[in-house]
Amino acid sequence: MKRWSRWGDLAAGAAGLAIALGLSFLIAVALIFLLSRSPLTTIRYFFVGPFTNKYYLGNMLNSAVPLILTGLGIAVAFKSSVFNLGGEGQVYSGALVTTVICLALPAANGYLGGAAALAGAVLTGAVLAGLSGFFKMKWGTDELISSFLISAAMGFVVNYFITGPLDDPANNLLASYAIGKQYFLSWLFPPSKLNSSAAIAVLAAAAVFFLMSYTHVGYEMRMCGLNREFSRYGGINVSAYVVLPMVLSGALHGLAGGLAILGTQHMAVKEFSFGMGWNGIAVSLIAKNHPLAVIPAAIFFAWLEAGAKAAMLHSDVTFELAAIVQAVIFYLVTAQAIYIRYRRRVKA
Amino acid sequence: MAYLRMRGITKLYPENNVLANDSVDFEVQRNEIHALVGENGAGKSTLMKILYGLERPDRGSIELAGRAVRIASPLEANRLGIGMVHQHFRLIPEFTIAENVVLGAEPRRQGIFLDREGALAAVRRVIGEYGFSIDPALRVGALTVGQMQLVEILKILYRRAELLILDEPTSVLTEQQIRRLFDTLRALSAIGKTVIIITHKLGEVKEISQRVTVMRAGRVVAVRDTASVDERELSRLMVGKPVSLQVRREPQERGRPVLELQGVRLLVRGQDRPLLDGVDLTVHAGEIVGVAGVSGNGLGELEDVASGLRRISGGRILHDGQDITRLDSPRLRQRGLAYVPADRLHRGSSLKSSVMENMIIASHHRFLRGGVIRRRQAEGFASELAARYSIEGDPRVPIGTLSGGNIQKVILARELASRTDFILFSEPTWGLDVASSEFIYDRILEIRRQGLAILLISSNLDEILSLADTLVVMYRGRVAACLPNSGGLTKELVGEYMLGLRQEVAR
Repeated sequence: MKRWSRWGDLAAGAAGLAIALGLSFLIAVALIFLLSRSPLTTIRYFFVGPFTNKYYLGNMLNSAVPLILTGLGIAVAFKSSVFNLGGEGQVYSGALVTTVICLALPAANGYLGGAAALAGAVLTGAVLAGLSGFFKMKWGTDELISSFLISAAMGFVVNYFITGPLDDPANNLLASYAIGKQYFLSWLFPPSKLNSSAAIAVLAAAAVFFLMSYTHVGYEMRMCGLNREFSRYGGINVSAYVVLPMVLSGALHGLAGGLAILGTQHMAVKEFSFGMGWNGIAVSLIAKNHPLAVIPAAIFFAWLEAGAKAAMLHSDVTFELAAIVQAVIFYLVTAQAIYIRYRRRVKA
Repeated sequence: MAYLRMRGITKLYPENNVLANDSVDFEVQRNEIHALVGENGAGKSTLMKILYGLERPDRGSIELAGRAVRIASPLEANRLGIGMVHQHFRLIPEFTIAENVVLGAEPRRQGIFLDREGALAAVRRVIGEYGFSIDPALRVGALTVGQMQLVEILKILYRRAELLILDEPTSVLTEQQIRRLFDTLRALSAIGKTVIIITHKLGEVKEISQRVTVMRAGRVVAVRDTASVDERELSRLMVGKPVSLQVRREPQERGRPVLELQGVRLLVRGQDRPLLDGVDLTVHAGEIVGVAGVSGNGLGELEDVASGLRRISGGRILHDGQDITRLDSPRLRQRGLAYVPADRLHRGSSLKSSVMENMIIASHHRFLRGGVIRRRQAEGFASELAARYSIEGDPRVPIGTLSGGNIQKVILARELASRTDFILFSEPTWGLDVASSEFIYDRILEIRRQGLAILLISSNLDEILSLADTLVVMYRGRVAACLPNSGGLTKELVGEYMLGLRQEVAR
């Protein structure tokens, strides 16, 4: 009987997700009818637009790449019951460090220098998030608050570098100098911007899945996430598992930023990564924190964004519509996840 | 004519198949102070939870002032004039006394705004009406435990309660605070309030109550005028006749000391007295040391301390003669600590994880190759243990889907597999059926024969008297008695130590 109720839980979870997504689609359609003079055309472009040519399709998949990585970062943290709300700053800082390393080594070998640049990004993210974990272990500081605050502060620091010392007077953007051509990741699907960072993201998802499901570190991390008291009783060093998930989470966020520079941007543009961190939370929630499910969830999220772009180009709606639809999904999915958690707690 | 009449109250907890209340009849007269006594698990709290609307009885009826009532929630209990002071206070330290007292029934201005002055005045009125002296503008966080309890009582009086239930109100108080509480209760009774007081302490029963109801194993075994019984008789009524368990403990030589507690103290901020106060205890190889006591006297704390999950404030803990006082749980596990905790569902297992994952928590290092857990070996280990302990169910299903008895078997299997020379049991058979209990007794005696040192903490006296070689009784955080269990021990005698009627350290 209890077994059935467990399946029931799963079914209720899936049904809840379907309802949340369906509802946000309905709201999107309603908004389009409200805001567009040719709603049917808009709807067609919104939903089908991203698949109509190689350019749109590739770009959509490319914008899913950072979301896969940030989604993974959040999933690792959530699975271990720690909260990293500093994704925004970790992505942005990682991007800055990658840019700086590339600019500092203008003549290095593309592979070696690129690897160094990415390592810098990974390290930066890991340190920024790891700090919050360390504070939590040492003084019990709430990592949710501290990661957010550190990230918010880093945003200003990065802005300073991009618009100050690194600003390229030759371009009219608020952006740094461009990195050397040897660092560019190869295009996979021209003329779109899809590049080999997509492969790295998929590999990262596989690696995180393997880590969480098969290794002893993953086992201890999951056990701490599910029941900290039981883990301590069982002889797991629980304080280490406050820091480690944060470090991993930050590293994945930093990697997202670094890859965005090498693969897509080729220079650090002011606030180019805005939303990648927050949307990673939504992606992870849609994926129910499962590392492999993060991939389709990220593509789904990117699809909505690409659809809005297509609708904007071919019809009469603004880009804000996409932002609104994403926000609606974010709210509904989060509310649904919180509701399920709340109900479990009430039942327990 | 009784003011409160509960009839045929029956309550079964299906999760662990415990009949907490079995056709209980309970009556209280208007404006008497009525004591409700019994051992842990006798069903007192369940009965009071039913009266306060926190639990629903399976059968039975409640009459209040001659009218049949149905109490589905504490809110309804409040409306009927029933209030309860819980053992653990439910107060918000950051709020003032007045804010805490009115919480949930606040005086308002224009329907939505909290009327602070009104609240203060109303609470001041209640304080004056009952002749207390406390300033309602004080922050609760700054009060003593005794004053906090007064705030809880004020909460009830503010809601115009006629019947007050106090759940072990003296367990956290000092002698002086207890005096003051009793004066308050007498005063309330004098102006027509009715009081039910749950307690383990027989001296207090004699002092404060007019009548006493004794419960044992879910039934009412006696109702007496307090003046007509003495503490000895109450103690005898509470513990009952010994039940002989189907276990045979053969005499056995005990070996070297394995675990030693020396002068262990545990202090907690906000508590007036230490939770553990100079506890000395030695467990030898091949010996079962049984620790008995009524709840609130340090058994739970002893469990936490002996398992290394709680740092002690003073004293030493030795394992094989080496100081392990400061070791954390990973190190203790490496030294071979094995421990079956009283809290099976939160400490002893992770309900959403599979049986296999639960079984390897302390031993998963054994299945590693290059940082990867070899699944087949781990599952083989789990299946083998499951077969040996006849645990039903696939090792891959979440342990939360198993029955309480099977969960306990998983814990037992895991801990016995990782044991070396010492094991700690706390309430190993609580809530289990007879067959599961006997299975566990057999395992405990088996490892005793193998020469393990066993520390058994239990509030079940029959269990301790049947299993233990040495019996330690805890009272108010101290070792009240340390007695060899050589046949001469009776339940009555141990009960007297447990209830603080006797105090000495023999041996």
